[in-house]
Parts: sequence; C-alpha cells; structure tokens
Amino acid sequence: MPVWAAELKNPPAHKSKQASIPDLPGFPSFAVLKDAKEPKAAQRKPPTPDEMDTWKLKKVWEVALGPIKSLPMTAIMMYMSGNSLQIFSIMMVYMAFKNPIMGILGTNQAFERFETDSNRAKIFQLVALALGIWKVNSMGLLPTTRSDWLAWETQREAVEHAVPGL
Amino acid sequence: MRPPHNAPLTRLLTTALALLAHLPRPAQAVFRDEVGHTDYHHQLLGLPLRETTFFHRPRRDDRASLLYTLSDVGVVGAVNPGSGEVVWRQDAYLSPSSLLGGGGGAKGEEEREEEEEEGKEAGWGRFLRAGEGEGWVVSAFGRAVHAWDAVSGRSRFWVPLDGVVRDLEVMEMTESGPGRKDVLVLVEERGGASVLKRLSAEDGCVVWEWRELTRDLPLQVSTNVEKVFVVSLKGAPGAYNLKVSVLDTLTGRKLDEMVVGAKADVHGKEDVMFVGANSAAPIVAWTDDARTTLRVNVLGTKARQEFALPADTVAVEIHAPHLVQSDPHFLVHSRTATGHRGEVFHVDLKTNAVSKAYALPLLPGPGAFSTSSNGANVYFTRITDDEVILLSSQSHGVLARWPLKTGDSKASAVHAVSEVIKRAGAEDSYAVRAAAVTDADDWMLIRNGEAAWTRPEGMTGGVAATFAEIPESEDLARSLEQEAHSNPLEAYIHRVKRHIHDLQYLPAWLNAIPARVMSSILGTDVRSTAGKLERDSFGFHKLVVLATRRGMLYGLDVANNGRIVWKKRAFPIPKGRNWDVKGIQAHDSTGQVTILGSNDDVIVLQSDTGDIIEAKAPSRDATTQATALVDTSSGQHLIRIGRGGKIGELPVDRAPRQTVVTRGAEGELKGIVFVPNGNSSYESVSWTFSPPKGQRIVHIATRPAHDAVASIGRVLGDRRVKYKYLNPNTLVLAAINDETHVLTVYLLDTVSGQVLSAAKHDGVDSTKPIECAMAENWFVCTFFGQYALHDNSAQAVKGYQMVVSDLYESDEPNNRGPLGSAATASSSLEPLDVPTADGGVVRPAVVSQAYILSAPVSALQVTTTRQGITARQVLAYLPEAHGIAGLPRVVLEPRRPVGRDPTAAEAEEGLLRYQPAVEIDPKSVVTHERDVLGVRRIVTAPAVVESTCLVFAYGLVDIFGTRVAPSFLFDILGKGFSKATLVGTVLALLGGVLLLAPVVRRKQINMRWQAPM
Repeated sequence: MPVWAAELKNPPAHKSKQASIPDLPGFPSFAVLKDAKEPKAAQRKPPTPDEMDTWKLKKVWEVALGPIKSLPMTAIMMYMSGNSLQIFSIMMVYMAFKNPIMGILGTNQAFERFETDSNRAKIFQLVALALGIWKVNSMGLLPTTRSDWLAWETQREAVEHAVPGL
Repeated sequence: MRPPHNAPLTRLLTTALALLAHLPRPAQAVFRDEVGHTDYHHQLLGLPLRETTFFHRPRRDDRASLLYTLSDVGVVGAVNPGSGEVVWRQDAYLSPSSLLGGGGGAKGEEEREEEEEEGKEAGWGRFLRAGEGEGWVVSAFGRAVHAWDAVSGRSRFWVPLDGVVRDLEVMEMTESGPGRKDVLVLVEERGGASVLKRLSAEDGCVVWEWRELTRDLPLQVSTNVEKVFVVSLKGAPGAYNLKVSVLDTLTGRKLDEMVVGAKADVHGKEDVMFVGANSAAPIVAWTDDARTTLRVNVLGTKARQEFALPADTVAVEIHAPHLVQSDPHFLVHSRTATGHRGEVFHVDLKTNAVSKAYALPLLPGPGAFSTSSNGANVYFTRITDDEVILLSSQSHGVLARWPLKTGDSKASAVHAVSEVIKRAGAEDSYAVRAAAVTDADDWMLIRNGEAAWTRPEGMTGGVAATFAEIPESEDLARSLEQEAHSNPLEAYIHRVKRHIHDLQYLPAWLNAIPARVMSSILGTDVRSTAGKLERDSFGFHKLVVLATRRGMLYGLDVANNGRIVWKKRAFPIPKGRNWDVKGIQAHDSTGQVTILGSNDDVIVLQSDTGDIIEAKAPSRDATTQATALVDTSSGQHLIRIGRGGKIGELPVDRAPRQTVVTRGAEGELKGIVFVPNGNSSYESVSWTFSPPKGQRIVHIATRPAHDAVASIGRVLGDRRVKYKYLNPNTLVLAAINDETHVLTVYLLDTVSGQVLSAAKHDGVDSTKPIECAMAENWFVCTFFGQYALHDNSAQAVKGYQMVVSDLYESDEPNNRGPLGSAATASSSLEPLDVPTADGGVVRPAVVSQAYILSAPVSALQVTTTRQGITARQVLAYLPEAHGIAGLPRVVLEPRRPVGRDPTAAEAEEGLLRYQPAVEIDPKSVVTHERDVLGVRRIVTAPAVVESTCLVFAYGLVDIFGTRVAPSFLFDILGKGFSKATLVGTVLALLGGVLLLAPVVRRKQINMRWQAPM
C-alpha cells in the first residue's frame, strides 16, 4: 500500500500553527474533538453558586484594593512636592481630590458586575481623600486657624468719640 | 515668591493684598525716570530784603554778575539773573549750640522758630555784604558771621559771636595795597557792651576789636576810606541822641566821639533811616516820629541839616550808592498812603553841605527806587505801577523809559535792586535789569520793562496746607441724589433723560479716543489732562492750598509738577507780624477751603480758582488758640477754641457731638463736652490731664483723620492672631522734665482722660526736638537721648532715638482682651477705685522697642492709603541732610527678636533680627538728590489707588511734593511696562496668523485628498 494511500485513509493529526485560529468545521481535527467531547464536558462543569460567590468576593477585593495600591506613590509624591503653592503642587492636590471623588462616584458602577454590595470598598477611596486633605492642610489651605476667620471679625465700635483741637 | 502666611481659598482679595503688602521687601528707591514726574520741588530762597539784595560780580575779570540775597527766612543764595535759577543757597541761620559744638548738629526747626521769634523781638538784623571785585559774600544773621564763596557758595569761614550782630560792613583797605578788603561787624553783647570787630576777609580772624561798655544801643557802622564811624543811640527810650564814635581803621583806636543833633532828637531805632556805607561822604539820616522832617548829618561833622518831607508821608527810605568812587548823591523815597515821590540830594565833598538837587513827581502806587553805580555815575531806577524810568543822579532828565509789562498778572514793585549798563557806541542807550519784589510776594526780574522771570518766593514761610479734591461739576452728584429720592418710575425717566442729554458729549468723547489711546500706548502717562484741572482715575490729581505767614494763599496743582494754579493775598499782614493760621479744612463736596486764623479772621475760598467767597480780616488781638473739626447735627464744622481752651456757648445745632480735646490755660490737657440747655449748649470740662509737677508737655500726636485699618489683627507665623488695640480715641503725649531729663510718653484715652500707658526715657535732651506720630495701633517718638543701660551700667547709649510701640488687645495671641467679642467699646468717665484692676480700664498690651537713628529727624508723619492695606512708612524730615526719609514700618518693628535669629515662624511673619542702629538708607530718601531746605510740616493724603500716598512738605523755605508707594505700585503698571511692545506683539501674532491660515488650510485639504503612499 503506498504511503499516500495510507495517509489518505488515516490522515495524521493536524498541528495547528496558531492556537487562536480555530479550524474550520469539517476539518479533520473536529472529528477528533468531537470524539473527545464527552470526557471534557465532565471536567468543565459550571461552578457552584458558592464557588461563584467566593470568586466574586475575590474579584471585588481586587477592584477595591486598586486605589490603595497607588496610595504610597501619591503620598511620596505629595511629600516630595513640598508645601508651597506652585503649579505642580496645585496639580497634585487637584488630582489627589479628583481621583477619590471620581472613584466614590463611580463605586456603584464599578461593583454592579458583582452585585453583592460591599461598602468597605469606599473606605479606601476615603483614605485617599484623607491624604489629599492632609496635603491641603499642610499647605495651609484649610480654614482651621483663628487667622482664617479674621476677615469676618469686626472692629469694635467706639461708643463715644473725641476730636483733637490742639 | 514666598508662601503667604495663610490663604484659605475663601480669603478675600483685599486680605491677600494685605499679606502681599506686608511681605518684607527690598528697600524702596525713586527711579530715575520718576524724578520730575512723580515729584516736584520749588527751590526757594525766601522773600529778598531791600538791604540784603544786590547784583555782584563774583569774578573780578568777568563781567557776568549774579544776584545775591539774604532773605527774610534767613537763606543766603545766588540767583542767575538771566534764567532765575538758583546757583547756590545756604542756610544763614546758625544756632549758637551748633556753632560751639554743643552736642553737634543743627537745632530742631521748632526751636529755630522759637529763637526766630525771640530774634524778632530783639530786633535781629539780617546782613549780607560783598566787597566790590571780591569773590566772596559775607552774611550775618543772629549770633554769627559767615563768609561764603561767591561762585560756589562754599563756606569760607564762620565766626560765632557772643551777642547779636547789629551791623556788618565791608571795609575798603588802604594799608596793604588795593584789593584787600576786611569785614567790620558791630555786635551788641549780652552785658550791653558794644563791640566792633574787624575780621580778616581771608580766614575770619580778628584784626582788632573796639569795645565800649555803655548802655548805648549800637546801631550801625560806616566807613569812609580814612575812618570808621560807629553810630549808636544814647539816652533813654523815646528820647535818644545820636552818638558817633570815630575810630582809626588801622588800630581800632577811638579818635573822636560826638553827639549829633539836639537833645532827644530820635524817638527810636526805626527812626534812623540810613547810615550811608562806603560812599565818599557817608551820611546818617533820621526823621522825627511824625515823618515831617528829615535830618541829615555827614558823618565826621557835627552839623545837622533839616529838610521838610512832603505832607502825609508814612514811610521814608534812602537810596545811595555803596561805592567809594561814586558821586555822593542820595535819593529820599517818601511814601504816602496812595503814592510815592523821590528827591535827590547831593553832598558837597569839600564843605560837607547837603543840598537838594531835584525832585521827582508824585506818582500813584508804592513805587520802588533802586540805585546802580557805574564808576562815578549814579543811576536811579524808578519802577512805578506801569513804567520803568531810568534817571541820572546829576539831573532830573529821564535817560530811558519803558512801559512795564508783567504779563497777565498785575503786580507792583515794593522794592527793587537794579543794574544799569550803558551800551558802548550809542550815546544815550541804556539797558536796565531790576529784580523787584512785588506786592504779590514774587521776585521778578524786569529787563528793560519786560518781566524776564518770576520766582514765587512768597511760598516760603508756609503755615498751613491741605490737600483738596478738584471740584467736579456738581450736576452728576445732584442728579443722582435726586434719582435716589424720587419714585422708581420718575427716577427711571429722569435717568433716561439724563442719558439722552449726555449724548451731546458723545462726539467729543469719540474724537478724544484716538488721542487717548495714543497717549496711553506711547506716553504710558497718567497725565492726559495736562494743564486742565480734572480728576484722574488714580486720584493723583489734586490741589494743595497753602497759606503763608505773610498772608498769601497759593493753589498748587499736584499732578502737574506743583504748578501754581492761583495765588491770592488773603489779608495784608503788617510787616513784622505773621498770619497765624489755626485751622484749614477742605470741603471736597463743595470745593471750598476754610481757613481760620488766630485773630478771629476767617477766609473761605474756592479751591480751584482761589476766588474768595467770604473773608473777615484779622482783629488786633489773638483770640483763637486752636480749631477742631467737629460733627454737629448740622454737619461737619471747623470750630474755634478760644484762649485757655474756652469755646463758649454754641447753638444746639452747632454744638459738637464729640469730646473736644484741647489745652487749658496752664498748658494742661482737657476734654470738653457740650451739654444742651434749651436752644444753646454750654461747655463742660469732662476731664483734665495735668502732667506731674516739673513735666512740660512738648508734643502731642493723634491718629490721622484718615486712618483706614484693613485688618484688626496681626497674623503670626503659626497663624494665630494678635489683635490690634484700635481705639480711635487715643493720643500720645510727650512730657519732659527739664531738671531730671526724663521724658515720659503717655497714651491717653481722649474720652475719659485715662492714662492707658506710660513709658519713661532717661537722659533726654530737652533742647533737641522731641516728636511723636501715631497711626493705627502704634506710635513712634523720636528724641535725643543719652543714658547708661539698666542691666549693664558700663554701657551707655547716646544718639537720636526712635521708640516705636505697638498696642495689642492682649499679650496672648487669639485673645481679644477683657472686652472679648463685644461689638462696642466705651470709655467710662466714672471714677475708679483701683484703676489698674481688671474690669476698670481696658488697657492695651504695649510692645516697645528703641532704635538709634543715624540722623536727627523732625516733622514726623505717617503715610496713609485709601484702605490701609499697604504697609506704612514714617516720613520724616532730615534737617541736616536736607531731605525727607521714608522709614519703613517693617524696620521700625517692636516685635523683632532681640539677641537671636528669628525662628521659622517669625521669619515667615517678616520679622528681622533686632539691630539697634537704623541707618537711613539713601534709597529710602524720597527727596533723593534734591536739596529740600526748611521743611516744618509734612501732610499726606490717600490716592484712589491703594498703593499710593500723596505727600506734600512745606515750611520755612521749600515746597516739595511727591507720591510714595511703600509696598510698591502693585496696582498700577509702571513706566517700565511697555504697552507699545505688548500691542506690537499682539499685532505681529495676528499678522502671522492671518498670513499662515490659508497655507495651513490648503495643506490640510491636500492631506485629506492625497492617498497615503
């Protein structure tokens, strides 16, 4: 029996060069997969709801811990930028406020995929916000001292008046 | 940039500005291009006196002559007769203490004022003489003789004298060849001795001295070539005889003595008109008390000749040449109430007989004669109200005659000096220039009848000045007021009508736009209203109304280099008396200025035109001690305070609502309140402050009338607040004990008279000026002190000091003191058992620090701005450096840390380490290179822009004005800002965009249509 006749009868298993490109239907590899379908289906059975919950929680923590990963970086940058009013520190402060606030506003959107609500996630955004506030305070931009309210204090009016005629 | 102390996002803009303004700054300086633009200076000499003004050639071989004068304010100077510019000037006044090296330095202006008054009573003369052909002039004023270089004005020598100079003469010498001239000075010593000294003209050393201890009044000295004559008055007051002592020129030995004329011939000193100086035949001339006869004696003879004076003569002057080679002719100038006439007399040198040569006709007006000699020829120049007439002393023929053209202002000459030049070639051609003092207190040079220049010398001797807003047309204010009071519909209709009415100005306004834009771009100048009296948006354009002691009033335009807008004589003030102005007030709403004088006189005038609205001439007696600007139910008024601090009854609607603080009869301080009683109010003394026994009040300072406070506290470095003690009813009073030399500075509450604080300073010189100034919550006092330190008596402090004190509500930060957050403060008049206990008197916490200044200062004044945001400066006149310094408040700061470097918080607050010595930085001198003489008072006014304060200094001699910006011009573009560059850049960019736009568009379209390769 010639080789070509034997190969025609029992073709060799196809080696796909690129795994991402699926073989066309009717391609010999299909026939093989079709054969192996039964044991595979038993292996990849859908996860149980319990499993799903643990997995979701894991995911939620991942998302929730996202901002805290950038916290040390922000803190270091804030420390380095100093307390003077410059364009760089002003931008830093702006970002330090914008990101957490946007994060808080976007919390529900970020977690709606996971459905189980978890308010703890917001805490990390609040920590970031607190960092921004600490920064603003150290820059002297928070009205926390007596001098900040001086403009609203009024001068005492004298009841009597005197004029010099010297 | 430094970080601001605190800047919450909610901060108001003004507070931010305040912080900006209080940051420590490098020293101020006047930029070169601002000189003559922001400041102005009238360099004055004072009103020249007839006897001490002359033309003189400073160089023997140079024909050019200068005009020299010693003025009535004691300034000796030379003026270029061609241009009227001052060549040099010097203060002829030298106080004995400064001359004899007592303490060093000039005396205070105030003391000079006192001494001048004393000098006036004692009849101090002012003398200025120059030797013909000599390069020096010699002056005497008070108790010293001073010689000056005639070209440069440098001092050649000065000689202090133990007595008052009665006469000064330059003596022609014969013994050591021609050219040598010496100075004769006649002194009346304290003990009554008459002393004649001959001083060498080289160095001022005494060649000989003649002394006579009699009770005679030394009067004048005169000399012919051989002899020296001393004329004195012998006898009792009211009935004197003239005594002439004849002395030898070489040794000063008395050769002869004679009494001239009949017994009790002379009534008083002022009756002796003239003692001819240095002419070949010097004369002495005197009149009787009634001015009916003139008696003349040729010195050296005993004969007396009498000449009848014209009827109704009120004043007689004698004009004679001063040169030996001139003909011995003289002119008698007699004035009647309405006119004047002249008579020329000749002296026969052989027989010493005086004969009348000719008489000049009576002409109206005061008239002025002056003498000029050229070799033997003597010329008389007569200036009448409308003509200048040149006469020869030989005959009555008029040599030349010119109509008098003095421009638009009518002025008549009071006295003059002249110089006559006979032109070579033409026989009868003369040129005359005469420097005349006019009745408007101007000094005018008349060249052949035409006014060449005029110097406003009458502005010297200023006694009061105020800033006044340029009056705006009142229409707008009035119509706005009308709109406010009518109902909305009517107001709306009225407004629409007004706007339609305003449309008529639209074309003119549109026409003015290009010019305005151009001037704004090119000139970068606010002076778009040059020459016009119009307010500007920066508030720099104001008027100053100045009153002088001679009774003149001036209106100066501050924005146009202090140009004189108008001048008016308020009252004719008799010679030897001063107009004593007690109060001046500008009403900005009506544009009127009210001036109250001490002798019950009042004048109200329009500030922009000088038109007198109301005037009441001074009476004989001084009735007013001071004035006060008070609020009454009928508005603000300037009220008089009579002698002894008595005001008297006032109608209820004119009675002041406030306590009036004034001086009592014994010099004590008292507060006066008015108690209504029916239709009138009577005064009642609410409190009296008498300084302890032995203390004398030397100075009182109050807060300025406009004293805006931007912030009621001071923010510390750690952002806590120290609250300022802002009591409007406070004053600072300095009292000195002349025996113990302790100066006590009191802070008084002016409503209750309560002493809020007192500080003592040891070793203070009471003869040196002691002055204080006050603003906001702080005050400064300056004096000369010398004392050993309390903690280390081996170390002594000596110098001109400035003590600055800050007042706070509490020592603690963030504490508003005993009153807490109360909205009002009241000063109780109730008696207190324990005045120092809490709850009694609200006393401030005082922080003080003393600094030693590098120069004496006087005329302290604090800058003032519209809202008080700008940092303050203490302006002070430097009497020795002839300038005005602006001492920054940051330097004069009592909270500067002593003996250590400031902490970070203190440094953030702007506190520097305490250094006792404050050098007056030349950059802080607002008068920069100008030589400003004799400033006695400085007035300040806020401009519309917050950064700037207007300053005007006046006094005995000079007028100076400027603008100061203690925190720099943070709200105006400076002159360095080039609008042309800015506009050019914008235009260039616009051109570039317009050029490139089509190119870019084509490129973009092409890009869309071309397939990428």
